[in-house]
Amino acid sequence: MQVTREIESYDTIVGFENVDYSHPNGTVALKNVSFKVEKGELLAILGSNGAGKTTLVRHINGLLKATHGTVKVFGEDAKLSTTAKLSRKVGIVFQNPNNQLFEQSVKKEIQFALRNFGFSENLVEERVNWALNTFSLSEYTERAPMELSGGEKKRLCIALVLAWDPDIFILDEPTVGQDSEQKENLVNIIRQLLSQKKTVILVTHDIEFVWPLQPRVLIMSNGEIIGDGKCQDVLSNETLMTNGSVLPPQLVEFSRLMRWSLPFPVNTSEARNLIEKTKLEQ
Amino acid sequence: MQWVAQGFLFVRGHTVVHRLDPRVRLLMSLALFSVALLSHSIEELLVIILIVLTIVSIARIIKRFAKAMIFTAVIALIAFALNLFFYPSSPHQAVVFGMRLFAVISSTSLFFLTSTPDELEHVMKWLHLPLDFVMVFVIAVRFVPVLLMDALQIMDAQRSRGLEFDKGNIFQRMRNVIPIMVPLIAVALNRSLDLAEAMDSRAYGATKKPTSLYHLTLKGSDYGMLAILLFGAAIGLYTTFYVKIF
Repeated sequence: MQVTREIESYDTIVGFENVDYSHPNGTVALKNVSFKVEKGELLAILGSNGAGKTTLVRHINGLLKATHGTVKVFGEDAKLSTTAKLSRKVGIVFQNPNNQLFEQSVKKEIQFALRNFGFSENLVEERVNWALNTFSLSEYTERAPMELSGGEKKRLCIALVLAWDPDIFILDEPTVGQDSEQKENLVNIIRQLLSQKKTVILVTHDIEFVWPLQPRVLIMSNGEIIGDGKCQDVLSNETLMTNGSVLPPQLVEFSRLMRWSLPFPVNTSEARNLIEKTKLEQ
Repeated sequence: MQWVAQGFLFVRGHTVVHRLDPRVRLLMSLALFSVALLSHSIEELLVIILIVLTIVSIARIIKRFAKAMIFTAVIALIAFALNLFFYPSSPHQAVVFGMRLFAVISSTSLFFLTSTPDELEHVMKWLHLPLDFVMVFVIAVRFVPVLLMDALQIMDAQRSRGLEFDKGNIFQRMRNVIPIMVPLIAVALNRSLDLAEAMDSRAYGATKKPTSLYHLTLKGSDYGMLAILLFGAAIGLYTTFYVKIF
């Protein structure tokens, strides 16, 4: 079942139109994908392994070019642009931090992209300091990135992308290897970015991380978008979740048990309030 | 780059060639290799290359063969050009040198493109090579495509950070390799440490003579192929040394 969503076109910054993509070995990874993302939107792309989530977001900064169809980023055809040019506006934090880190120090690691994008030295210094402070990495400034722990490396990867201030921020499996405190920090960063009218796209399996954020949700299965809509509508749709091989959040399951109607509570305190309210009504 | 990398990924085939005993396939490669190495005429080398291509088409690995051979073809062309440049009096020799290089490498690749790392391991064990050496060799073969795919992912990650590999002068381009090589080596080292721990925890080395579930046995088709091979190699070597057919 497809959950449709009304799209206002005036602020569209990413647009996929009937996009197909086949890997060089012939495997079809995306089939007739069409959707739009607006400025300041929070979008979560969910689906099982091999559903095509990562392949999809790699089209946004031009790492992959659509076999058929059009991908437009800020009105520009991604096929006709370069990854370097698109990346200035679209920052991707990849799943595996070890694939990105190579410099001798944390500071140099953050400077790398800023210099590639031609930032002035003053601005480089300013952005590096901002990133180090925001992500509590100041004490590691001169440490080799390879020596950091898994969680710290992930934090550094997010910091080094945010340092060049992209308009669209894509996080591929951001919660892998992160403890609850770091996940909470990540939620705060996402909220801060949204308050600055930045667009955030999450590619994740972590449904419990997504639910409190209440983003627009896109469910993928076998390279197709099978659901696109409000978090409450999509994640409470049993058929859609089964077809997408996604387990519903615990609060959705609990709300169903309690026979509550939509909207379901998004966190435990809301659930507690609702329980109190139900008790009073009884 | 990804197109070439996929040439090195093993794809399990189900053709007559794949069904042959790996030892017979190894012998086939060795026979073609030896005849190619000893040949001195363009015609003979052409016949060897045609035999290799025929086996490749029977094994249905034309695309993978083309991907894996693309660099060999370039190297063979360079060898031809260098020979032509340094020995301009003998263009025939330059052609033979280039063709021989291609024939030698393509005949060797035949075995690797049609054999799984497991089969490679069985053959090496059958040859009574030291067990540790077999393990190191098989793991190295198995991880070549994995490292290539890692390199592609790292390149994607660095391109997303504004790095343009094809921009700048030769020194700039050489410097652009650092953001790929450093993470690639780090990832490879980490993976090797993880693998060593995983092997230790599965009792690798606990006994000097580990048992094996699989044993190589020759079938009727293998004996048939062996007969063809011996006959073909004998004719090849005879014509090379004694009779000038071409």
